[in-house]
Amino acid sequence: MKRFLLGSSGVLALAASMPLVFQNEYFFFAGYVVLQLIVLATAWNILGGYAGYVNFGSGAFFAVGAYTAVALYKAFALPLGLQILAGAAAAGLLGFGVGMLTLRLRGIFFSIATIAVAIVLETVVLNWHYVGGAKGLPTLRPTETPFFASHTVYLFFVMAVIAVIAVGAARYVETSWIGRGLRAIRDNEGAAECSGVPTLKLKLGAATLSGALMGAAGAPYAQYLSFIEPTSAFSLNHAVNALAMPIIGGMGHWIGPVIGAVLLGTVQQVVTVTISSEINVLVVGVLLVVFVVAAPEGILGLFRRFFPRKK
Amino acid sequence: MKIRNLFAAALAALSFAAVAQQPIKIGMSMPQTGALGGGGKAALLALQMWVEDVNAKGGLLGRKLQFIAYDDQTNPALVPGIYTKLLDVDKVDLLIAPYGTNVTAPIMPLVKQRDLLLMGNFSFDVNAQIKHDKWFNNAPWGAGALAWGGPFLDAGQKLGAKTIAIMAADAEFAQNLCTGARAIAKAKGLQFVYDQNYPPNSVDFSSIIRAVRAAKPDLVFICSYPAESAAIVRAVNELGVGPTVQMIGGGMVGLQFAPIMEALGPMLNGFVNYNSWVPEKTMANPAVTEFLKRYSVRAKAEKVDPLGYYLPPFNYAIGQMLEQAVTATKSIDSKVLAAYLHKTEMKTMVGNIRFDTVGEWSTPRVPQAQFRGIKGKDIEQFREAGKQVIIGPAALKTGDIIAPFDKARN
Repeated sequence: MKRFLLGSSGVLALAASMPLVFQNEYFFFAGYVVLQLIVLATAWNILGGYAGYVNFGSGAFFAVGAYTAVALYKAFALPLGLQILAGAAAAGLLGFGVGMLTLRLRGIFFSIATIAVAIVLETVVLNWHYVGGAKGLPTLRPTETPFFASHTVYLFFVMAVIAVIAVGAARYVETSWIGRGLRAIRDNEGAAECSGVPTLKLKLGAATLSGALMGAAGAPYAQYLSFIEPTSAFSLNHAVNALAMPIIGGMGHWIGPVIGAVLLGTVQQVVTVTISSEINVLVVGVLLVVFVVAAPEGILGLFRRFFPRKK
Repeated sequence: MKIRNLFAAALAALSFAAVAQQPIKIGMSMPQTGALGGGGKAALLALQMWVEDVNAKGGLLGRKLQFIAYDDQTNPALVPGIYTKLLDVDKVDLLIAPYGTNVTAPIMPLVKQRDLLLMGNFSFDVNAQIKHDKWFNNAPWGAGALAWGGPFLDAGQKLGAKTIAIMAADAEFAQNLCTGARAIAKAKGLQFVYDQNYPPNSVDFSSIIRAVRAAKPDLVFICSYPAESAAIVRAVNELGVGPTVQMIGGGMVGLQFAPIMEALGPMLNGFVNYNSWVPEKTMANPAVTEFLKRYSVRAKAEKVDPLGYYLPPFNYAIGQMLEQAVTATKSIDSKVLAAYLHKTEMKTMVGNIRFDTVGEWSTPRVPQAQFRGIKGKDIEQFREAGKQVIIGPAALKTGDIIAPFDKARN
């Protein structure tokens, strides 16, 4: 635990000192996206990786966070910190609702239900004119951000904090009794129930936490983009990335989604400004197929295979 | 002292020569894939042709042009990163916005913050709130959505229409367009007998067309995206929209793109739709004709929209405006160029353009044209005059509307 806290503080100190090394704002734009992917992948892994409930509706949780933040900013001009908390709370509540679905739905039926939730919510937002509806809503960034070189650098640091919290939460879940319970659910829910594992409580907790973290990742989205509209906020790309990155990195350990997100996120950013086409979506797809077939336990599994622990 | 001065002068001359050798970099993102990819590729080709033309003449201010364009996949989330890279890594001198509103909106705060010139590219009202004084949008509809629906509804009123049905995609462009149409229809005292939105990317319109037919409207104003436009035209042809309908169409994106026109062929007959340029005598000019001739050769080789009426002339015109401003001011400074663009009438192949205070065309010009006499699916027929007859605005009109729709179909 001490090592993790030390590591987290190191990561945050590194993020804070980045502006001293990089004067170029592009780095922070690209870095923000990679950090956002870390949060999404880590959050997805809590329910999908540990408990085995595959969520295809990550875009909905992300967008609920984003739109909650936008609505509250428009209504009360709340600062970003409170927007993130509210976004996380709203998406957490949605997560709780999705968790309730697990009472009746398992496997592919649960996954289909999460897609349905995303479509229903997108339709609601499309018709919610207060936040721009289908037309979208421009959101102006503050011209000055105290203590930071620019608002982009500030958003980069905020996302770094959210990423550290998300990874910390995932690590706690994994290493505590909660993680053991979730793994038992994944392996055999009936047997876990019979063995006294509080399955519903754990599933609800995992779905709520997973949703809240995705919502937190979505809350600064409108400020990052200076514009929000439903198609990109609810984009299926969020769901594909959130699912692909833990699979590629390795779902069994909290570091797996982080590795997958850093690797895939960086490749996507590079491909976008080099090969410059939809190839970056193809990259995700091809890597996903390759890893599912050749390395089902992801990069971590490969690592363990080639460098087994000495007993 | 003398030697030092001489050395300094030589150094200055050398550095001036070095700058003169450096190209002027022009950067943009363009949807080359995703929803607007088809139009984006054609628009990009036109801009590349402009860069080649300028470089063939020796460049601007004695410097060649270097064009840097990235694919934003019609994804607004990618745009801030791309434009920051263009500015901070590629160090571009001039910026052009991507085709479309959703992908342009995220750039506006960035250019405002850095006080940079941005040439707009067929986006809609993105500067309405931000009010950046260095934004110049080359889009024929101007500010607000009134210019789009006006000619359609004027023609409808002349036909004695009393009722209207509106169907619109639940998406940004379609909603903006229909907002304008609703306002005009209300002002004209038309009664709304059907006014519904449908989810974007819908493929089956049979139930909607049946509902419209049941409402017995005189006019049907549609605001749709390419795939939906094609599906609506097919549904109308299969089911019919009823004998009461005088005019149908208005704001259907996609019916300007050659692949869709080719695919639909005679099913388009009778539809009235907005456009930016059609080969009618009131819009013809030698510069556009010559450009389209060269464009169609390149388009064939690069497998993009072979007609290129909708976006390419206007994208080439963006280049012409930059060329005129840079040449006249002998500067690539945003402030100097913006001041020139504000006060000067720009001479382009698509006409002379003046910008209003928010950087939109001060005199909008959106022709509404009726498809007529389309036979078979030969794309070449769309190059002839008389296939898309302009029914309004009056200045561009080349024929009267044929109504009702059932009559126009035949």
